[in-house]
Amino acid sequence: MSVLELHDVSVTYHRKHLPDVTAVAGVTLTVERGQIVGLVGESGCGKSTLGRAASGLLAPSSGTVLFEGEPVTPLGRAPRPARERRIQMVFQDPNSSLNGRRKIGEQIADGLELAQAMPSKQRKARVAELLEMVGLDAKAAERYPHEFSGGQRQRICIARALSADPSVIIADEPISALDASAQAQIANLLHDLAKQLDVGLLFISHDLAIVRHIADVVTVMYLGKVAEYGPTASVWDQPLHPYSDALIGAVLHADGSADMPEALPGDVPDPADPPAGCRFQTRCPAVMDRCRVDEPALVPVAGRANGRTVACWLHES
Amino acid sequence: MTAAATTLTDTVLEVERLTIDLPSKGEPIRVVDGVDITVARGQVLGIAGESGSGKTMTALALLGLLPSGAVTGGRADFLGKDLLRLTTKQWRATRGDQIGVVFQDPMTALHPMLSIERQLTEHVRRHLDLSRHDARDKAVELLRRVQLPDPVGSLRSYPHQFSGGMRQRIAIAVALACDPQLLIADEPTTALDVTVQAGVLRLLKQLCESIGLAVIVVTHDLGVMSTVADHLSVFYAGRIVESGPTRELLRGPRHPYTQGLLDSLPHPERPDQPLVPIEGAPATPANRPSGCALHPRCAWAEPSCSQQVPELLSISASRLSACPVDPFGGGER
Repeated sequence: MSVLELHDVSVTYHRKHLPDVTAVAGVTLTVERGQIVGLVGESGCGKSTLGRAASGLLAPSSGTVLFEGEPVTPLGRAPRPARERRIQMVFQDPNSSLNGRRKIGEQIADGLELAQAMPSKQRKARVAELLEMVGLDAKAAERYPHEFSGGQRQRICIARALSADPSVIIADEPISALDASAQAQIANLLHDLAKQLDVGLLFISHDLAIVRHIADVVTVMYLGKVAEYGPTASVWDQPLHPYSDALIGAVLHADGSADMPEALPGDVPDPADPPAGCRFQTRCPAVMDRCRVDEPALVPVAGRANGRTVACWLHES
Repeated sequence: MTAAATTLTDTVLEVERLTIDLPSKGEPIRVVDGVDITVARGQVLGIAGESGSGKTMTALALLGLLPSGAVTGGRADFLGKDLLRLTTKQWRATRGDQIGVVFQDPMTALHPMLSIERQLTEHVRRHLDLSRHDARDKAVELLRRVQLPDPVGSLRSYPHQFSGGMRQRIAIAVALACDPQLLIADEPTTALDVTVQAGVLRLLKQLCESIGLAVIVVTHDLGVMSTVADHLSVFYAGRIVESGPTRELLRGPRHPYTQGLLDSLPHPERPDQPLVPIEGAPATPANRPSGCALHPRCAWAEPSCSQQVPELLSISASRLSACPVDPFGGGER
């Protein structure tokens, strides 16, 4: 059983005096324990919305989100069912997700307290243990967030997520706001923790290069739908969807070669008014007549037994 | 352009021993400590560094936009005038006129309630003293130069009607409106999607070459530097630790910090190689380690590194490095 399963999830935002926006339009995705799933795409592709729906922070308009086989209750006024506290999130900006006026130790202990009541001595010991797991000194518990660098604060956020003994962590751009050297530290930390603790990790990022390094499988989203899915190395080496190809091609190499990648023409269309046919047809370098009319389904790739799926007429079986 | 080909007359900006002190509760904090940079016509200079490295403060000093109470030292010679000694009135005739600026977020750089025409022409009319009609022609020409799809039609539009990439192109058009000699771009593509980033970088590079603009690009992203910068200066804790032609510098870094930054980046070609981050956190200006500011994080540090601030010294005809240990010096070069 997968730890997290999303079946045909759609999320529609209603706006006053404006047309509705379907930010996620039918996405199916699973995360296994100990597996790192990369979710990539440009801004406005719905990747953050999907992450929020997966964690129960917002209710999907249709489709189901299952956590350990049971439906996730969207967050409301009532406290979360204890079971669902084992879905945890790590956000982009550690500054805004920590309380600046409370000691680190107290903030991490909150999660422990929710998971199960324990004597304060035991709680302190566990906080120290969690801080060490994320590479911080146990003494950090007595300090405040402003005393730490951005990378260290993100470690604190990860420790807090771990305090609830999660079986899946949803990390939404967890390294984008950090300095270059801290980015690599946090990416490595998340990877190692997921593997050591057998926690599923949904790693949402716009940065394909980092996803290539840490994710086992990758889901490429475009305008609310999955364009391509497969094992990361395989997708990277041979992207099948022209959009995946363009995304991978746009990664800049810091090798002094001065290679300027080709820019994809045009912009992401308005999600409130997606184009007919394939959603990528307005920017696709390989567009055919059929793409403008029929929308391709996400189907397994014929002849390749490596579990890849793609939504593109070029790869119709 | 090689260093030898850069003649004196081509030099647009020459900064020498720039220091910036910011006021604080106690002693003023030195955020930039003795920085030298030179940019010539048609050249893109990259200033790379992490937060707290002084890269943004250096850019702000060159725009006369430092926070109040900041004290500068050294000099910044821009076409015969010292930018560090301009009055507010002189700045008004320099910034936006001879020196253009592009910021990270085009949504905040453009006024949301004014049409593109107004934002482009108001600027042009004030600085160049043009008639309304001439200013409009100039605005269309500017939008054409930044390759906006429909220059004439765009004049009546508002910023929110454009995507991030197009907005950044408009912001560049505004920066170019008065034919500046120097363009300072602070993280110009950081807020953009990867697929449009390349287009904006290509544009900056083309403008630099076609109109002989001197460009300073400030970013933490070495991938961006690799594609646009001719020359690169790497900042750490308020000082330049290494500088040289981008290609040489990224292919054979000599300072442990530059090497460390490169090792911490994903290698698209070698994805199975693990990421090797620089240990610890960047030094902050308020809490700068003694001697070489990198020494607590440096694997090659020797006892003397914690005592003496290393000088930025010449290591080849066009390159400088501030590491007396020079752990990568013995090999290929």
